[in-house]
Amino acid sequence: MNYADSLIYLISSLIAVSAFYIQGQEFIVSMIRGQSVQSVLIAVVAFIIAWEERSYDFIILGALIIILRAFLVNYFLQKRIPKQKSYIYEGKVNLSYLFLVDLIFIVISVFILYSVAFSGIVLHSFLENSGNSGVLVFPLTLFFQGLFLIASRRTTFTQIIGYVEEENSLVLFAMFLLPIPIIIEASVFLDVLALVVISSIVVLEKFTHEPVEELRG
Amino acid sequence: MTIGNLLAVLILLIPSSVGIFYRWRIKEASIVAAAIDLALSTIMYYFRPQTGFFFVQNITIIFIMMVLSVHLLSTVYSTRYLRGIENMGIREPTYYLLLNLFTVSMIFSLEVNNYGFMWVGIEATTISSALLLITEKTEASLEATWRYIVLVSAGVAFAFISIILIYYSLGTLSVSVAIASHPHSRIIVLAVSLALIGFGTKVGVFPVHTWLPDAHSEAPSPVSAMFSGVLLPTALYVLYEVYEIEPVQQLYVWFAVISIVAASIFIGYQTRYKRMFAYSTMENMNLALLGLAAGGPLGVTGAILLLISHSFGKAGAFYSSGNVLRFTGKKNIAEINGLGTSMSYTSASLLLSSLAVTGTPPFGTFFGEFLILAEVLSLRMYAQFIIVIIFLATAFISVNYNITGMLFNGKGPHNERDRLMSAISVISSVLPLIIGIFYLVVYIEVL
Repeated sequence: MNYADSLIYLISSLIAVSAFYIQGQEFIVSMIRGQSVQSVLIAVVAFIIAWEERSYDFIILGALIIILRAFLVNYFLQKRIPKQKSYIYEGKVNLSYLFLVDLIFIVISVFILYSVAFSGIVLHSFLENSGNSGVLVFPLTLFFQGLFLIASRRTTFTQIIGYVEEENSLVLFAMFLLPIPIIIEASVFLDVLALVVISSIVVLEKFTHEPVEELRG
Repeated sequence: MTIGNLLAVLILLIPSSVGIFYRWRIKEASIVAAAIDLALSTIMYYFRPQTGFFFVQNITIIFIMMVLSVHLLSTVYSTRYLRGIENMGIREPTYYLLLNLFTVSMIFSLEVNNYGFMWVGIEATTISSALLLITEKTEASLEATWRYIVLVSAGVAFAFISIILIYYSLGTLSVSVAIASHPHSRIIVLAVSLALIGFGTKVGVFPVHTWLPDAHSEAPSPVSAMFSGVLLPTALYVLYEVYEIEPVQQLYVWFAVISIVAASIFIGYQTRYKRMFAYSTMENMNLALLGLAAGGPLGVTGAILLLISHSFGKAGAFYSSGNVLRFTGKKNIAEINGLGTSMSYTSASLLLSSLAVTGTPPFGTFFGEFLILAEVLSLRMYAQFIIVIIFLATAFISVNYNITGMLFNGKGPHNERDRLMSAISVISSVLPLIIGIFYLVVYIEVL
């Protein structure tokens, strides 16, 4: 494993840590900022790969991640946070319990999916030299963290962040495996941004989500 | 640029350009755009683009015409339906703009020759249609909108893993190239299986269907008609295009069968008619999935026949439901009776459409179901055949028992206040019958 491989593994672990950080937060502003940091870290991975593979596509990809995910998504979400202090805090959440369940869920799901489906996969990027596909564990961790965040929380903001985290994992997954054409990646980014904008409109109307009698059954 | 490509671009551009009329006559512009688009799609039948950015096969053109027909009906129906809404969540011009963009995103998903862009198109259908759900703003519609956004987006994310794996295995995302390549690898099997969860969320495959009844029941009726009639078939088309790369037949067939069972059980205890029709859509979509997964000329023809007939039948059911809701203000099946005397045209369309969506002969849906089940039998899938037959019968009894109760129990004063709304629901409900009779005549001629 050379220095670039080690750096990729190090930053990928930080990305996974950022996902756990978001999971451990009750304050929505902290979660949004955590998502921005996570996106910047993913952009750094893109820049390292760009440097190693001398590829302009990865530079464009990294720049898109910073502009659309780290900056614009953050901007649209922060703009929608109500001024009242009570609204920016997600109550009724037993964080220590959730964190424990999250850890068990992530370890089991990532272990099963990786060993069944991805353990024998050959990476097409320069990471191929590191000899195994272990680096795919990080995007898988991020993906399931995003899903868990959506499933475990009740506020609209947290669920949007869970979705963005899920999308971040897919970008990372594609970067490690084989990056899809940049035009498609850019369209996906714009799609996700539009979805965040649409969701942020719903945020104003409905902040938390509880069962509704009319939607039972 | 070939004529086919030009037509494909025009079909996307015309509804998109309706936004120019946002401040002035967008309603009329939407109807004109929908009609022109439908006319162009019939011309495109003779000039199908099959290379480059667009890939329109015989089956694609059927889906495109289906989408545009239901779009035209829904646009005309909306002009009257929206008048009665007291608390509108979005402005009327925004509604028409989003309805057009929703159609454009579906057509884009169908026309494009790239799995990546197909995913983008399917995601765009969620973006463009999400706010349409809060046209009638209530606590329930806001919650349904949110569930729709989160569940569908989270589910469709799985499909993107599938797209990445396809690109990893084949080095291309071109639909025409991928289908022709016939690769056999573990990764492709994984990709096709993940697509079932991903795109299956939008199709209404159990257990990732949970957004479907909420969104259908809380959306305004013309939007519910588009969801049931054409959005789900569009997602099914995309899923089928992925399936064609490497048919994982047993997995798809069993998921379809289990989904039919689940939908039929859910139909049985519904107390609201729109929600009941939503589960009926889930049942029909999975039956079509069963046909496509079974394959063969019978399975595929049956699925297409079922989808076309169902799209008009279910649109008719939702337009009729819209009439009932608008003129009675009631959502519960138990609260409604005497429709046969109070709303004669609507009751006719409701009866015809419920018979159509439950596969009654001689509606087109019946022949579709018949062909699909014939293919299932020819593949010696006896267990699947028996399970499906039992639960189709269950759904048939549940839906028609509830609807006939609404129509024939008691009497009520005349309450049909809008002829155009009634006319559209009748036209839409009669079409599956015409399709069925046409198929029967052609079939007898061929024999």
